[in-house]
This record gives sequence, structure tokens and C-alpha cells, in this order.
Amino acid sequence: MATRGERIFDIFLWLLAGLVFVVLYAPVAISALFSIVEVRRGDILWETATLEWYARLWQNQSIMDAIRLTLVVGATSVVLSAMLAVALALYVTREDALGRRFIELAVYLPFLLPPIVTGLALLMFFSQVGVSRGAVAVIIGHGAFVLAVIYRLVVTRLQSLPASLVEASSDLGATRWQTFRHVLWPQIAPAVVTGSILALALSFDETLITSFLAGNEMTLPIRLWAMMRVGFTPEINALVTVVLLVSIALTIVIGLRLRAGGRE
Amino acid sequence: MSPRLARIGLFVAAASAPVVFVLVPIAAFLIMSFWRVETSQLVPDMTVANYAAFFASDTYPRVFIETLQLCAIVAVIGVALGYPIAYLIWRQHGRLRYVLLLLFAIPLFMSYIVKIYTMRSILGLQGFLNQGLVTLGILDQPSLLFIYNRLAILLTMAVIFLPFAILPIYLSLERIPRSLVHASADLGGAPLASFRYVILPLSAPGTIVGALFVFVLALGDFITPQMVGGPSGFTIGRVIWSQFGLAFNWPFGAAMASLLLLVAFVVISLAALIARRQRV
Repeated sequence: MATRGERIFDIFLWLLAGLVFVVLYAPVAISALFSIVEVRRGDILWETATLEWYARLWQNQSIMDAIRLTLVVGATSVVLSAMLAVALALYVTREDALGRRFIELAVYLPFLLPPIVTGLALLMFFSQVGVSRGAVAVIIGHGAFVLAVIYRLVVTRLQSLPASLVEASSDLGATRWQTFRHVLWPQIAPAVVTGSILALALSFDETLITSFLAGNEMTLPIRLWAMMRVGFTPEINALVTVVLLVSIALTIVIGLRLRAGGRE
Repeated sequence: MSPRLARIGLFVAAASAPVVFVLVPIAAFLIMSFWRVETSQLVPDMTVANYAAFFASDTYPRVFIETLQLCAIVAVIGVALGYPIAYLIWRQHGRLRYVLLLLFAIPLFMSYIVKIYTMRSILGLQGFLNQGLVTLGILDQPSLLFIYNRLAILLTMAVIFLPFAILPIYLSLERIPRSLVHASADLGGAPLASFRYVILPLSAPGTIVGALFVFVLALGDFITPQMVGGPSGFTIGRVIWSQFGLAFNWPFGAAMASLLLLVAFVVISLAALIARRQRV
């Protein structure tokens, strides 16, 4: 039986969680509000309510360009990163692998270090080897940043597999490639997909590293940052609302997949 | 080819991409912190002038210390709010626990820029906070107390990075075997005693890791100070960023970022050490 004190404590915890919940979800509520009605000096003018801005969204060229670039950067960097992550994971789980910790350090660093350091390091490196700021630089930056996430999930999955699986396959005369294609890949594919969705979500929102590498080719967060200095129009708020809802949906998908994976 | 050579060859192939795209750039940037700028040109050199200029300056070391303090406070707020919430989630069962966890994880993936923008429209002169306080009669008129100063940076960072504290704390709570908690209760331990002697010590390492994580995230943030900090709210991240815009002094920026990297490296190593100990 819960004592009176415990019940009061419980109520306090729920109140705190509720308050934090409201603050954390304020971005969605406020963007949605500003996209529908006009707010002047903190007063909400309900008579101005309209959904017109959502229809006009598609006509803003600079925003559409930014979204297109964001998607191209996300898809390219995630595919490249996923391939590299699988190759590295296969390598470090080999029994005769050299420098395992060295490779893991290099993989995890861009994810752990403050993005200002990663961004700066890549900017300076690129300036010396002649890669100019722009889409290519951003793709490499995002690739380095999200690699750790996909790698981590794939390695964990590979380590959970019994060694007998590969041994049986080679005993039966399968080549290395056949073993990978028909034995290992089906086992790690779910981890690769989950990692890639997670990586895509990270790439979609990456701002700090990108700010050093983008130059004139702006991804969506960089474009929004530039627009923030003059204030968001209702149109931008409409866009932001859509983007937030998409990222919420994506997170729920990741959550469901991670939960299903953990149950296996 | 001998097996030994083959092994080395395979290592070189595997390590090449991480080395080229991660370690070489970091090395390049550490090296550039010893270069100098002459008439808007980068000059390769081996001078400690950038570091000397940093420590000789009246402002930069102070800004650096103040940034560390700011990030420490953000980390403490993260734990102070994050721990009770993680504890609440952990106490629930089945579907409710999972839904709560997801609800507090979703904000991790909400747009960072939009969060800053939202905080600005909450804290601003015409913002919702001021409107609320004026309506309640606490303030006579809207004030600039909450925007374009250090407090604004602190509040905004606290909100942005709080979800990053909740998750590691929750994971460390989840690792506590339920049997231990039950045993403590069966032995007549009052809930408070169970918490004090079982739950708190066992979740402490994860909590510290969460705090360190938030600290590093706050340390590298330069857009929040720029957007809500106003002219007085300078952090070291913002100073570094400015070296790549108007000031155009990359080597000096690199030197300051190297110091920041050093702090981050110490903090991350500490977190890794604690995390590894916990698993044993």
C-alpha cells in the first residue's frame, strides 16, 4: 500500500513530467498556431485563422530547394555510411582483426565530439585538399557524423550471432560472399535499416557541422537559421509544422523498430 | 602474400576511410592552430602565438570559464529535471512505460533551429512568458529579463538538451535488476530507504554520464548563444564561430577550438570510464 507521502510524491512527479512535456512540445504547438493565425504583441487574433499558408508552401522556391538538398544529402550520406558501417562491422568482428579499438575510436569521434570541432576540422581539411564548401562537403560531414549510429547497431547484431552460423556455412562449401549474402545479411538487415532511419533523422536536422560546410548551398536547417534572423512568416511556420510532424512520425517508427529488435 | 601481410592489408583497407575522413581532418585542424594569418592569407608556421594571444587576452579566458560554468549549470538542470522524469517512467509498467519513454525521446529529433526559434518566441519581449506574467500581475510591463542575456542562453539550452539527460538516466535505472528492488522491500526497507541505498547508488553512474553528455553538447553549441544571447551573451563557441566569419582568423579559431576539444576529450573519457565501470 502506498502511503500518503508516496502518493503526494507521485503526484508531484507527474506534475513535473507534465510541465516538462508541455515545454518540450511547445515547438509543435507554437509553430502550428503561428501557421494558422496571426499573433500580434502576444495576442492571438483568432479572426485571421486560415489554412492558406499550407497551400502556398509549395510555391516558395528557396524553401523547396533547401528541402530537396536536405533529402539528397540525407539519402546519399546515409547510403554511403551504411555501406561503410557494414564493411567496418564485418571487419572488426573478424577474429584476426587488427586495431579494433583504433577503428572504433575513429568511428565514434565525430559523433561524440562537439560538432563545432568536427565541422571546423572538416572545413580546414577540405580547404587544404581543395574540396570547396557545398553539397559534397556536407555529404561527407553528415556521413562521418551518422556512421557511428549505424555501425553501433550492426556490430551489436553481429556480435549476438553464434559463430557456428558462419562456420556451418563455410563447411557446406559456401564462398565468403555467399556466406555474407545468404547467412549474415538476412540477420543484420533489420539493424542496417533501423540504423539508416535513425541516421536519416539525424542528418535531416544536422545544423552545427553543416553550418561550416554548406557555403551557399543551404540545407533546410541552415535556411531556417538564416530566416530566423528576420522572423518566420506564417508560411515558414506551416513548413516547420509539417517538418516537425514528419520527424515525430519518423521517431515513432525508430522507437517501434528498436523495441521489436530488442524483443528478438 | 604471407598471411601476416594479408592481415595488415585488410586493416589498412578497413581503416582508410575513418582515417581519411575523421583522424586526418582532426589532425589538420590541430596543426592549423599553430599557423598564422597574414594579409588574409593562411601561412603555415609552427607558432604558439595563437595560444599565447588567447591566454594574454582580458576577455577570452573569462568567456571560456563562463562558458564552462554555463554548461555545468545546464547539465545540473538536465539531471535535476531529467532524473525525476526518468524515475517516473521507470516506475511504470508495460505499454505506459514505453509510451512515456517515447514521448520524452521524440523531442530529441525535433528540429534544433525550430526549438531555438520557439524559445525566442516564448522568452521574448512580446513573448508568451512576459504576456503571462503581466496578465498574472507579477510584472507591470513586459521585461527584457528573459531574452538576449545569459539567462536566455541557459534556459534555451536547458530545454533543448534535457531529453539527452533523460535517456541515459532511464537506461541506468532499467539496468537495476528488479529482484534487487524487491529484495530491499521484502527486507523491510521503506521506499525511501530502498531509493537511498539501492536505486540511487546503482543509477548514479548513468546519471553522471547523462550530465557529462549534456555538458559536452552545450559546450559545442554556438547557434543558441548567437540567437538568444544578445550582445552580452558570449560563449566560447560563439567566439570561435566568429573567427570564421567577419574576423577571418582560422588559426586563432582553431586554437580556441583545440582548447575546447581538450575539455570535451577529458569529459568524454571520464564518461567512458564511468560507463565501463558500471558494466562490470
